[in-house]
Amino acid sequence: MFLRQVWTVCAKDLRSELRTKEALNSSLAFALTILLLFSFAFDPGADQIQEISGGLLWMSYAFAGALILNRSFARELFNDCLDALIFSPVPGAALFLGKALASFVLLLIVELACLPVFGIFYNVAWADRFGWHLFVLVLASWGLTVVGTMFSALTVNLRMRELMLPMLLYPMMIPALMSAMHLTTVLMSGQAIGGDHWIWVRLLIGIDIIFTALAVALVEVVLVG
Amino acid sequence: MRTKVIYALSIFAALMLVRNLYVIFLGLPDEKDQGAIYRIIFFHVPSWFTSFAMFIVSGVASGLYLWKGRQRNDELAVAATEVGTVFVAIGLATGMIWARIIWGIWWTWDARLTWALITWLIYAGYLMLRRGIDDPTARARLSAVFNMFAFTSVMITYKAIEWWRTQHPAPVLTIRGADGLMDPLMERMLYLNWLPMLALAVVLVMIRMRQEGEQREIESLRRMAHAL
Amino acid sequence: MDARNFTYMFYGFAAVWVIVVVYVISLVMREGKLRRELDGVRRMLEDKEAKR
Repeated sequence: MFLRQVWTVCAKDLRSELRTKEALNSSLAFALTILLLFSFAFDPGADQIQEISGGLLWMSYAFAGALILNRSFARELFNDCLDALIFSPVPGAALFLGKALASFVLLLIVELACLPVFGIFYNVAWADRFGWHLFVLVLASWGLTVVGTMFSALTVNLRMRELMLPMLLYPMMIPALMSAMHLTTVLMSGQAIGGDHWIWVRLLIGIDIIFTALAVALVEVVLVG
Repeated sequence: MRTKVIYALSIFAALMLVRNLYVIFLGLPDEKDQGAIYRIIFFHVPSWFTSFAMFIVSGVASGLYLWKGRQRNDELAVAATEVGTVFVAIGLATGMIWARIIWGIWWTWDARLTWALITWLIYAGYLMLRRGIDDPTARARLSAVFNMFAFTSVMITYKAIEWWRTQHPAPVLTIRGADGLMDPLMERMLYLNWLPMLALAVVLVMIRMRQEGEQREIESLRRMAHAL
Repeated sequence: MDARNFTYMFYGFAAVWVIVVVYVISLVMREGKLRRELDGVRRMLEDKEAKR
C-alpha cells in the first residue's frame, strides 16, 4: 500500500515533468554549460585533468541538480496543488519518497547524459569500471536528492525561497559531494577502489541512510506542522 | 532570579579567567619545541569543547521541541547555536594563528579543519534560515528540522580525526600518555580553563534566550495591535 | 621573529577577546533595539485601546 502510494506520487511527478521537460532541459543545458566553462578555467588537455575530473563532474552535477530539486516542491505551488497533496490520504513519508524518487530519476538521466560528453571533452576514461561509476553515481545522487528534496519542502513557503535554498543546500550536500568527487577521481584515473578509499564509500552509504531516515521521520512535521 | 544567575556566573568566569591567566603565563613553563605559543591551546581546545557542547545542547533542544512543542526549547536551540558559532569562530581563529607558526601556513585542507568550516557554514545557514521565516511557529518548526540535519555534520567533525589521517593532532583525551606529549599539569589547565569558558557561554546563552523571549513578545503584541 | 613565538601567542589571545567582545557588543545592541521596539509596540497598543 505504502509502496503503491510512493509509486503514484513518483509517476505523477515524472509524467508532468516528461510532458514539459522544463527542469530536465534547463538542467541538462546548464550542466553542459558548466562543463564548457571549466575548459576555460583549466587546460583541458593537461594530464592533471584526471586528478580534478571527479571534482569538475560533481560540481556541475550539484549545480544542475539544484535546478531539478528546487522545483520538486515549488512546482506544486501553482493552483494550490501542494495543499491538495498534503490533505490527500497519502502520508507525508510516501509523498516525500515519491518526490525524491522522481527527482532521483531525473538527476540520474542528466548525469548519465553528461558523463560521455565529459569523457569526450576532457579525454578521461569514464567507460572503464562503468559498474563502479554507476555505483558511486547512484549512492551519491540519492544522497543529494534526499537532502535536496527535504530542503525543497522546508523552504517551499519562504519569501526568499530561491536565495535560501542554495545557501542551505550546498553545505549540507558537501559530505556526499566530497565522497563522490574523491571516488570518481579515483575511478577516472584508472585505479580500483580499495584500501583507503573504502572510508569514502562507507561515508557515502552512512550519509544516505542517516539522511533518508531523518527526512522520512521529519517530513510530516515540515509539511503539516 | 535569572539576572542573579547571570551575574554570579559572569563573576565566576571573570575571576577564574584571571586566575587561569596568571597560572598560564607565570606558573607553566614554555613547551619544549613550541616555545610560548603552545599556550594558545588553553583557549583553542576549550573553545572547541564549548562549541561542541553548545551544538549538542542545541540539537537536543530542537529534538525536544519537535517532540513536545515547547517554545522555550526553541529559544534554547537558537541561543545555543548562536553562541556555538561564536566559539567556533574563536576555535578557528586561534587554530589558524597557531598553525601559522607550527605548520607555517594559516590553513590546510585536512579533514578536521574542513569539517569544522563546513559545520560553521551549516549553522550560519540555520541562523539565516530563521531570519527568512516570519511566522514564529513555522520558524521554530522548520529550523528545528534543519537543526537535526545540521547535527550530523557535528558528528562527522568529531569523528574526522579517527576516519582520516589528518595533519591536525588527535584529541588530547586520547594522546594522553602516548609518549608523554601532554604534561598532566597542562592537561589539568585545559579543563580548568574550560570551566570559565563554559560559564561564559551559559551566560551568553541565557542573555540570548531572554532576547528571543522579548522578540516573541513583540511579535504577539504586534498581532494584538493588528487585531484591534 | 622571536624565538619563543611570543608575538603570535599574543595574537591568538587577542583574537579570543576581540571575538567575544564583538559578540557581546552585538548582543547589547540587539537588546537596545528590542527594548525600543517593545516600547514602540506597547505605546501603539495603548493608543489604539484609548481610541476605542
